Amino acid sequence: MQGPVRGGTLVFAIWQEPVALAPHLRNQTVANVVARPVTEGLSRTDTDGNYQPRLAKQIPTTTNGGVKLTSDGKMDVTWQLLPNLKWSDGEAVTSADIKFTWQVWMKDPNTISRTGFDQIESIDTPDDMTAVVHYKTVYGPYPNNFGDGLIPKHVLENVQDISKSDYVRMPLGTGAFKITEFVAGDHITVERNPNYRVAGKPYLDKVIFRSVPSREAAIAQLKAGEVQGMWNLLESQTPDLEKTPDVKLEIYPSPSVERIEMNTAKNQDMTDPNSVHPVLGDINVRHALLLATPKQDLIDKLLFGKAKPGTSPVSQGWASPKSLTQEGYDLNKAKQLMDQAGWVAGSDGIRSKGGVRASISIVTTTGDQTRERVEQVLVDQYKQIGVELKIANQPSSVLLSGSWSAGDPRKRGSFDLVMYASSPGIDPHNTVFQRYYSKNIPSAANGGNGQDYTRFKNPDADKAIDEAGSTLDFDKRKSAYAAALKLLNDAHVIIWLYERAGIDARRTNVGGWSGNVWDDITWNQEEWYLTAR
Amino acid sequence: MGTYVLRRLIQAVPLLLGISIASFAILKAIPGGPLAAYENDPNVTDADIRRLEHELGLDQPVPLQYASWLGKFVVGDWGYSVVSHQPVLRLIGERLPNTVLLMGTVFLVVVLLTIPIGTLTAVRQYSIFDHVTTGTTFAFLSMPTFWLGLLLIIAFGLDLRWLPLGGMRAPGAAGVDLIDSARHLVLPVATIALVQLGSRVRYLRASMLETISQDFMRTARAKGLAERVVVLRHALKNASIPLVTVLALDLPELFAGALVTEQIFGWPGMGRLFWDSATRFDYPVLMGILAVTSTLIVLANLFADVLYGYLDPRIRYG
Repeated sequence: MQGPVRGGTLVFAIWQEPVALAPHLRNQTVANVVARPVTEGLSRTDTDGNYQPRLAKQIPTTTNGGVKLTSDGKMDVTWQLLPNLKWSDGEAVTSADIKFTWQVWMKDPNTISRTGFDQIESIDTPDDMTAVVHYKTVYGPYPNNFGDGLIPKHVLENVQDISKSDYVRMPLGTGAFKITEFVAGDHITVERNPNYRVAGKPYLDKVIFRSVPSREAAIAQLKAGEVQGMWNLLESQTPDLEKTPDVKLEIYPSPSVERIEMNTAKNQDMTDPNSVHPVLGDINVRHALLLATPKQDLIDKLLFGKAKPGTSPVSQGWASPKSLTQEGYDLNKAKQLMDQAGWVAGSDGIRSKGGVRASISIVTTTGDQTRERVEQVLVDQYKQIGVELKIANQPSSVLLSGSWSAGDPRKRGSFDLVMYASSPGIDPHNTVFQRYYSKNIPSAANGGNGQDYTRFKNPDADKAIDEAGSTLDFDKRKSAYAAALKLLNDAHVIIWLYERAGIDARRTNVGGWSGNVWDDITWNQEEWYLTAR
Repeated sequence: MGTYVLRRLIQAVPLLLGISIASFAILKAIPGGPLAAYENDPNVTDADIRRLEHELGLDQPVPLQYASWLGKFVVGDWGYSVVSHQPVLRLIGERLPNTVLLMGTVFLVVVLLTIPIGTLTAVRQYSIFDHVTTGTTFAFLSMPTFWLGLLLIIAFGLDLRWLPLGGMRAPGAAGVDLIDSARHLVLPVATIALVQLGSRVRYLRASMLETISQDFMRTARAKGLAERVVVLRHALKNASIPLVTVLALDLPELFAGALVTEQIFGWPGMGRLFWDSATRFDYPVLMGILAVTSTLIVLANLFADVLYGYLDPRIRYG
């Protein structure tokens, strides 16, 4: 392979339609893929999960004096901008833009997530290069708070409703590329930003994000050479592409963990959180189900070996509890546990105890082939330990609606086993707090708040999570999360099936491309180049 | 005639209102909602979801949501997408020309091919041409478009490499390039036209056969008219009446597009807009498209009826 070459147009297939590219209004992965090389924030995350300064001189920390804890339990973070920064239209980037970014995030009613920004009390701009962010509390994930992209004050300060302006589709940024065309449903073109701060970059003149109808169509166009890159393939699509000459796969870990969550509370009666699930309320049954789940086998046969058995929800990054384990496949031990717990097999092989049959259901998203096959394996495996498993899948718009009023069965507690995937952010606090802290058990009483779907409740875990949330010391936080997640695993409420890989594909004449656990594939697009092959 | 048209138009108002109520009710009855897309984002909190629910009016009772949509719609405010926040009219406006291009071409191709093929199969009944046409049209008529479309892509796009796999123009093509556009049109147009052509030819063949066995045909021949004139001027004009109805009812497709075909070929038209909006529960966009489509269907029916009266003077509306 030759070294970087300047010039050329790369066509990248996108098989979903980006709806909004503005930093505070975008949520889809595909929108991030397109906008990442355009809008830049103060920081970004490198492939090892470390924060890197981007538009800032450095990441403020307590050591370098950028972060000061105040005596009343608050926190001030001082950001210094790089000198001579320009928006792609040539205007200077100043600290006023940092303040404006926070204001837009809080003011625009259609902002998707205000996490982090809602912890800010005020921002001072003592000079054009400096912004002092005053947080209301000690907020651990501060380095990434302004990571999605600064919003240009000079363009938008007089715009009444930003969410309805052209900025939504064609945000102005400081990145290596600027958006020059947005043709809905067809393509989005980004071209070299002449005001980009790094001399000689980007290598490419132009990137066209071409809308294609499906993953399969993207693969066909990649093989035909109509496009040079695509992202997010399925494990089952890798064997075919590995054989294709001219195409190279990039496989790297992702923070997404596929899991089976078990409901420990009784299905019908959610008003009483102490009511116990007749079958899954027994920790021995849950433990036995874990032992009867052949993770490695599922990975080898259904995911073509392109995943790792899971051990916790935080599989990547600084907070990942690497020493945490979850027991592997052991049918005999599972049967023993069921025997010891007093579950006796009936004439049909299904066990029961005190008149309760060990019959439960599993729900996952309809139409997902891999998940459906996993379910079939589990029906067979669980039957061998005397547990009847029935499949009752639902569309993802229902199962994963995340809304009490829309009837998400996980929120309502109307499920036995649920299989889905979820990823924490680079700072796992939100995930650990929302999902495993007892006050986040959704119920009618709290308006369906929280995502502790298994109804896991452990005061020691709560205490550890509180501890982690109230300090900036990474080592202390890490061990606190590890303690909480250990208690979670000991309760056997969640089977961590596997850690999914990120899989992207490109033509072999594309260089400079590298997968990033914590960011989208276009995170370093300024480094990409095309060779004659 | 004028009063008849006016009466039909007035009757259409309660009908369209009923359709819009039913559409809204059905859309709302589908479990899930636009905010489900935010579920997997670790940064989106329950408070964010509730705020957005309120902001988009999704926390209101359904009848109230409908009333608020209708109130604005009738005064020309089609609202904003709940997903991209763009005006619904703009979203439709940027897709409509593409669909008109695709479906207009299909319409022309179908009309231009149906008339000669349909006429010939009837005139040469039981000839080899008739048998072959009947067999082929039946075969295409029975094919699902998603299957036929993929087959054409595999054959002409992937294997032979004659035609592009999808999209409307080559990536990076600047300005108007008629040849490039035509190349991109061939497969999607063929997919829809082949399936439609089947039923249209069958229609024309059947009515042609009925017409040419009638007395006035014999009279025309007895008058000594040339066979060509008999067939084209006397038979075809009468036999095309049912076909005209069918074709007039195709007109709303010029707006609605082709859901499946646009999806398969990545054609940025109305069908794909509808599909994308449906999967995202984008109620305002869906309602806008449904309202226009249902109006066009009602109007196309009226148009077909009026045309009928014009083509066949025996039919009179009072």
